[in-house]
Amino acid sequence: MKSGEHKEIVMIKDLSVMIAGKAGDGVLFTGNVLARLLKRQGWEVATYRDFPSNIRGEATCYTIRASLGKAYGLSDQVDILMAFDCDAILTHVPHIASSGIVFCDGEGKSNLPPGASRGKTFHTIPLRSMAREQFGQEIFKNMLALGALSCVLDLDFGLLDQIISEMFLKKKGEEVVRKNIQAAAAGCKKAREITSEKERHHLRKKKDRNRLLLSGDEAIAFGALAGGCRFFAAYPICPASEISQWLVHYISRFNGVVVQTEDEISALNMALGAAFAGARAMTATSGPGASLMMEAFSLAGMAEIPVVVAHVQRLGPATGIPTKTQQGDILQWIYGSHGEFPRIVLSPGTLGECFDLTARAFNLAEVYQVPVIVLTELDMGQNFRTAERFDFESIEINRGKLLSQDDLLRIDNFKRYELTPDGISPRSLPSFKNGVHLAESLEHDEKGYRDEERSTRVRMMEKRMRKLKKASPDLISPHLWGDRKAKVGFVSCGSTLGAVLEAMDELKRRKVSSKFLQLRTLWPFPGAAVRRFLSGCKEVFVVENNFSGELATLIKSQVNPCTQLRNVLNYSTRAFTPGEIVSPVLKVCR
Amino acid sequence: MKAKDAYHRIDPTWCRGCGLFGIFEALKRAAATLDLEPEKAVIVTGIGCHGRLNNYFRAYGFHGLHGRTMPVATGIKLTNPKLQVIAVSGDGDAYSIGLGHFVHALRKNVGILYIVVNNRIYALTQGQTSPTTSFGMVTISTPFGSKDFPVDGPMLALAAGGTFIARGFSGEVAPLAALFERAMRHRGFALVEVLSPCVTHNKVNSYEWFRQHIFPVDSVPGYSPKDKNKAWEALEHPEKIATGLIYEEDKPAFEDLVLPDKDKPIAFNDLTPDRASLEKIMEKFG
Repeated sequence: MKSGEHKEIVMIKDLSVMIAGKAGDGVLFTGNVLARLLKRQGWEVATYRDFPSNIRGEATCYTIRASLGKAYGLSDQVDILMAFDCDAILTHVPHIASSGIVFCDGEGKSNLPPGASRGKTFHTIPLRSMAREQFGQEIFKNMLALGALSCVLDLDFGLLDQIISEMFLKKKGEEVVRKNIQAAAAGCKKAREITSEKERHHLRKKKDRNRLLLSGDEAIAFGALAGGCRFFAAYPICPASEISQWLVHYISRFNGVVVQTEDEISALNMALGAAFAGARAMTATSGPGASLMMEAFSLAGMAEIPVVVAHVQRLGPATGIPTKTQQGDILQWIYGSHGEFPRIVLSPGTLGECFDLTARAFNLAEVYQVPVIVLTELDMGQNFRTAERFDFESIEINRGKLLSQDDLLRIDNFKRYELTPDGISPRSLPSFKNGVHLAESLEHDEKGYRDEERSTRVRMMEKRMRKLKKASPDLISPHLWGDRKAKVGFVSCGSTLGAVLEAMDELKRRKVSSKFLQLRTLWPFPGAAVRRFLSGCKEVFVVENNFSGELATLIKSQVNPCTQLRNVLNYSTRAFTPGEIVSPVLKVCR
Repeated sequence: MKAKDAYHRIDPTWCRGCGLFGIFEALKRAAATLDLEPEKAVIVTGIGCHGRLNNYFRAYGFHGLHGRTMPVATGIKLTNPKLQVIAVSGDGDAYSIGLGHFVHALRKNVGILYIVVNNRIYALTQGQTSPTTSFGMVTISTPFGSKDFPVDGPMLALAAGGTFIARGFSGEVAPLAALFERAMRHRGFALVEVLSPCVTHNKVNSYEWFRQHIFPVDSVPGYSPKDKNKAWEALEHPEKIATGLIYEEDKPAFEDLVLPDKDKPIAFNDLTPDRASLEKIMEKFG
């Protein structure tokens, strides 16, 4: 809602609505319905959850960003705040646009510091009491709020009713659907009473081109399923649990299984057992679980077992803040664990990439017989965004040098760890005749049996380490965004993508042209592409959600000599907003 | 019935007199009796002297990390339930570093034979105290005597919901082979703890010592492995160590409960994307 003064004639193109309250208020539910409603009106949507790490009682808020153009994540301002709790207003007022509207259940405005409310419109709306009096239960406050928002945003009530019935008809029956539809209408009526005509927005509606609205965790889970994952073992952890919780609904239809293990040590070891026996196997976790998996990660490297690990980063160290996003574990998988072994680390920046890269991760794992990490962040994993439909046609299954029973019967002397020119050896599966071997965590000979001979060790080490030497055509290359000729360059990976792209647009408006190299494979490091990009820049900003600039450190370790890299860092509890990237650039480039 | 030599890959190089020889022999006999194809068996081992078994026993093998046999074996069994999955651990592997996994494998009742080779010492690392070392025993890590009270694996297993709990002695190969055989026929998780002297690092718990301290439960009048109270009683014997099949119970195995189709192993799925099904799932995101 960038153009506040002429609301009555200007159609809104970009919008940020925040739902705030206490944990347990149904903030997530309300926001998700609004997100789906906006999506069905043809808008691009990105949600952002800012939740405490508990179930009830603490302040929580959920922002729904919507745009007719692209919506990637947080914007710098909130246009409408719907607060179930007036304390929330105090926290969020500084972020509310000067033309913004605040709805609050209860008395709130009186506590505001002087000047804080300048230009903003405040309305109290008795959601709870209306819910109790008219519908008998406080829980209807969420639908009342949605009705009120739909009124001021001029949203289509037919669509809202349709969403309500999709949600409740099967599970709760007609009566619940009817009551919720009535509650939405009552909320709208109330909003019409308390707001003036000029506070109502006119959204330009587009046809919903059958796009998707989903979270990164869901996209990863779906990518896994499409990519042939049939064994998934994990221990619940925020913000990765949704991957297994989604898969468990669908995997059995594909003759697969999800196992909840006793811990993350078990999860990765179990996936390795399954992969050894022939499944495309995967686990998912976050930082603390990743630390527990490091030993088995090394085993995957040594025994050359293909496995995929999705790591949804959260704020650390230690237990940190489990519900906040961060990119503090980038180097954990690249340099992590004991000993040296090849590994692949992928970093999706969009939902489409969450799906594609995860599906492809299984091919990479099996072709190169290495562990593959899909590294993402809470911001991507748990927030919902709109995405184009996924393309199943492009998925090909390549199981690499996995031999069949027939292949093995034609071979004389099967060697699981055969020294080959490309370092990749044939695999057999338990139960196959002629393929008996040992998957060995000790240094071993070509058959898999322990061997401590100096020459064996040297040859085996070189064999493993050369597997990825020629992998680059199969790896996902960096994506170059923006003006190729620009002298200002950004380098980043993962869910910072949206904020960087929006910052680039803003910089363009301010006559600063820029380009952006989005790394999608972090390891093996795409050295040639990064070198080429850096050599075409005068100023380079590496944008990352951590304290020490892990991505910049990685680049400097791989590009030598390296141009000066400027860190744009954010290790706070919130993802980047575009403005936080624009201002450090302007400081340098003005 | 196969010849037991079918499973003999090479001669073991354990210390002469090691209890593991008896286990190796008993396992070969049990496999032969069951007519087990070497390629249908997978032996998953941990870290310790027992871990060399993979080099000697002809079968598919997975020699993983210290203490992690249970999750690896579970992953294998669920991926291909037609395999005979045999996990082997030492007392350190099973009851110390891998204790958490042990309890959960029991709880899940996964169809694995778990052989725990209990020599009451850390042998591969030269003789430190283990979780089954007797209280007060002098080892290289406890020169003033161990101050830890030992754990009892079969007792833990009974408490954790184990459905087949047995204890054998590597000095008595024939009954041990019979236990292994019976354990492999059991549906669900089968624990066979084997009292197995370490002739190099444990001079206390020798063959002779074990012979004096064990009693077979089937020598107890009226003993039934179906009777949990009797099993507790046998395990809590103040002086003697119960051997034989201590407890047995019929419960569904984890693989029977969680796999969509046990006759169609996950290992051999056709992974070609089923586009129609995927399209249908995608509708949920509309």
